[in-house]
Amino acid sequence: MVLLEIFDPKARPRPVGIDLGTTNSLVAFVKNERPVAIADCNGVTLLPSVVAYAESGVTVGDGAKTRASSYPRDTIVSVKRFMGRGADDPETRRMGPYEFVTPGAGEANVVKFKVGAGTRAERVVTPVEVSAEILRALVRLAEDELTHIGGAVITVPAYFDDAQRQATRDAGRLAGLEVLRLLNEPTAAALAYGLEKKKNGTFAVYDLGGGTFDVTVLVLEDGVFQVRSTGGDSALGGDDMDRAIAEDVFAQLGLETSARTPTLIRMVLDAARAMKHTLTEADHAETQLPAKHGDKTVRIERSRFDALIVPLLERTGLACRRALKDAGLTKEQIDGVILVGGATRVPAVRAYVAKTFGKEPLADIDPDQVVALGAAVQADLLAGEGPKDDVLLLDVLPLSLGIEVGGGVVDKILPRNTTIPAAARATYTTQEDKQTGFEIHVVQGEREMVADNRSLARFTLRGIPPMAAGLAKLEVTFRVNADGMLDVDALETTTGVHQKVMVKPSYGLDDETVEQMLMDALDHGEDDLLLRRLAENRVEAHRLITATGKAMATESALLIPGERESITSAMRALEEAARGEDPAKIHDRIEELDEASREFAGRRMNHAIARAIEGRRVDDVEASPSRPSLDAH
Amino acid sequence: MDPFATLGIDRRFDVDLPALEKRHRELSRALHPDRFADAGASERKATLAKAVEVNEAWRIVRDPIQRAEALFALAGVVVDEAHTPKPTPELLMEAMELREMLEEAKEKRDLAAIERLAGKVDASRRAAEDKLCAGFAEKERKHAKIEALVPVLGELRFHKRFLDEVSAIEDAIAEADVAAQS
Repeated sequence: MVLLEIFDPKARPRPVGIDLGTTNSLVAFVKNERPVAIADCNGVTLLPSVVAYAESGVTVGDGAKTRASSYPRDTIVSVKRFMGRGADDPETRRMGPYEFVTPGAGEANVVKFKVGAGTRAERVVTPVEVSAEILRALVRLAEDELTHIGGAVITVPAYFDDAQRQATRDAGRLAGLEVLRLLNEPTAAALAYGLEKKKNGTFAVYDLGGGTFDVTVLVLEDGVFQVRSTGGDSALGGDDMDRAIAEDVFAQLGLETSARTPTLIRMVLDAARAMKHTLTEADHAETQLPAKHGDKTVRIERSRFDALIVPLLERTGLACRRALKDAGLTKEQIDGVILVGGATRVPAVRAYVAKTFGKEPLADIDPDQVVALGAAVQADLLAGEGPKDDVLLLDVLPLSLGIEVGGGVVDKILPRNTTIPAAARATYTTQEDKQTGFEIHVVQGEREMVADNRSLARFTLRGIPPMAAGLAKLEVTFRVNADGMLDVDALETTTGVHQKVMVKPSYGLDDETVEQMLMDALDHGEDDLLLRRLAENRVEAHRLITATGKAMATESALLIPGERESITSAMRALEEAARGEDPAKIHDRIEELDEASREFAGRRMNHAIARAIEGRRVDDVEASPSRPSLDAH
Repeated sequence: MDPFATLGIDRRFDVDLPALEKRHRELSRALHPDRFADAGASERKATLAKAVEVNEAWRIVRDPIQRAEALFALAGVVVDEAHTPKPTPELLMEAMELREMLEEAKEKRDLAAIERLAGKVDASRRAAEDKLCAGFAEKERKHAKIEALVPVLGELRFHKRFLDEVSAIEDAIAEADVAAQS
């Protein structure tokens, strides 16, 4: 990392947008107010999301892809499908020819692949680590073009649950990225389109990626993208089309399930994918594959392919109709349908979308790039580079959040499609006399019974003073931040004791594990970490100084006498510290500047609220009672 | 919290939803965390708390039942599920009949009948909402008059549960149809 360049205006850290896809990944940034995808030296923007582990080292992309048929167990393909999944999930084992390691007792319940088995390079990796390799490859690509990367927006399917989001964020952290925001893919796509077209209207985004399907209904008005509803299936995508073709191919080859070796499965899947691509243009596709008695030519007609994928399309249609219903809209009210994901190139998909929404979908932007381009736009907005006041995304919680109550039933705390950031509280009580602990099980999903939903976390609230049953009052607060990520805490209100709750994710890695992985990934452990902290603190210092200076310049009327001087002096002190080498000192000065400008910031907030509520006087707003503030996360 | 004050609108039942949506947009523009990515920790914390409050207020006011509950609460009338008065025998009878008919239509997978029942309940829902509009429109809000409106909230809750169930049945039928194809 080149630390010296941070304050050099010519090599400003540039924010990037990353589409961490199931099949391909790519990175984009905003160049002269337009998002562009970054290409490698061969002019290729799509990096296959394939990671190969070999004795010679780790390879990502095309190099890894070519190894997939020969070393299927050591080459992780479509790792995104494993993100945030439990090792015991029956879906998991179905998803590839890998050697899975069952986590030991007390270990995190995450998928673990054993790669390089029997060689010196034998090791166990998690999907988070595999994804981090892909991100590192993208960072290297971006650094060739931009020298220095200043934070990233990483996209996730809107339908990703909390565990899957957490895993994605961990992968970013592990790759050494400052993750500015996790952005829902359909929202990113709309952002890419919206900015180009500057139209108001209601749009549906139909996103059929390699492994996930999302549909999102959103309204664009005066530059604000408001997500109305979102739905989908986090285990449905173009890969399923490949699998449908592959099944057909196996049947043509006359191969029983028992004859399907991992190498052969990989080979047939690759052939299936190639045939799918051919069928986008041609009316049939052929390929040579080894059968029982020598090679055999396998042929698939377009019409056969179209028929094979009908069940998949119908599943997407179901989600589309539900999303429209949730948004309270009919298909006639949709002004445009945006296509995202390589699988939407399939003519049968386009025809199905046209039929479902009653209009031809938009496809002006490359469906493989549109998400990364939108992410780049959002990264640019977040880093304060773009026209900030014009565009805003208001996203929603994709799946309801709830708590297990008696009889395995879910008590929904935050319903799906709630605009985020959001918070909600629920109060519970003890069921037995002198009960001092209270177990809380957090789940995500729409079903009534706990068993049918996704388990997110369990924790026990301890140290409740012994009381008669029903007397203790436990207030559980759910907070969902703008990344769609959950934070839970609990308070016993009769005693006012705030319990520090340790949430143990049901699926996923805890903070210490990620921190340890981070240390392991760095060459010189502690030293590198210190350098990184210094770099991060300097970036934050720089940002805060710029933002504070700008606020004083634009809203000087809200400063009270003496305030400008005290804030300016705190700014100077921070500048001074940022020139030094001590990250802790920078951190302290940041806090001091924050404190010095706190009241000014409060006044600016109230002023902004009053402006938003036209016709109301500032004093009215200031006088209105506000609830105790919720912690930022 | 007074969600109406948070959003800067009058305490009424008949809210202008498009205007409300616009207000929510404007407030979000002023408070959304994306606007404060560069700000200091305390400013981020304060604006986040306010953004969460605005979203909560919006969630409440947008939903007729929660909006009515908020209006009752602000008028000093307790209306949680435990305090809602028992519905009249006539209403109870009608509700039971409707449920039975829905159950029957569900068994037969008779989508047209389900739609007819939903239409009927939806009309009652609109009538109930009209009563609340009128009741909460008066400038002078007498406690007794407000209390007299509480049973209407019970009706609305019934309508919602019924319509939610209709929606769940329709979803289940649609899902079964798709599953049957594959």
